[in-house]
Amino acid sequence: MTRRIFNKTSKCRFCRMGVEEVDYKDIQNLQKLATTRGKLFSRKRSGNCARHQRSVKISIKRARFMALLPYVT
Amino acid sequence: MRLYEGLFLIDNMPASTDWDGVVKNIHAILQKNGAEVLKSEKWGEKKLAYKIKGHKRGTYFLVHFNAENTSIPTMKRDFQLSDFLIRFLILRDTVIEELSAVATDEGLGEKETGKVFAAEEELLPEEKSEPLLTAGEG
Repeated sequence: MTRRIFNKTSKCRFCRMGVEEVDYKDIQNLQKLATTRGKLFSRKRSGNCARHQRSVKISIKRARFMALLPYVT
Repeated sequence: MRLYEGLFLIDNMPASTDWDGVVKNIHAILQKNGAEVLKSEKWGEKKLAYKIKGHKRGTYFLVHFNAENTSIPTMKRDFQLSDFLIRFLILRDTVIEELSAVATDEGLGEKETGKVFAAEEELLPEEKSEPLLTAGEG
């Protein structure tokens, strides 16, 4: 039986950086949380905590509206 | 009074020919609705992620202002009626952050946050193989 090893530093990336809310203008970082097709990564994939994943979701949608990120590619 | 942040996507034609006029126009609409402009800066001309009404490129303009919450709907209507804007987004904000701290251009990545993400990618080998920039460029 294998046991999953939990790392002490395995916090959400925004928690580690001390970011309150994710900014929709920060396209460079938001792009890394979406696939090349433009779909959002799951929480499992991105490793974000619930609060920051929600923040990312809103930010990506705002960035899409302003044509900073694509809806689909 | 509350602090707001407005991002305006401006048509390239008026932006390239009469930039000062466009800025003056935006400020005039804000001031007409009782807003107090604190900071405004040009983000630059960018390629859009998708075509909007035939526009492939546009110029972004970021404004921070104080305004009454009751004046926002009329302000939005005024912006919708102005013909030089492709799109705009007005949101409540808590701090006036430097645009350079967020993103200045497509070629950034030297800042600290970039390093954190770069370190993380090494841990996730599957992420590495994907071209990350295609989303913004395509």
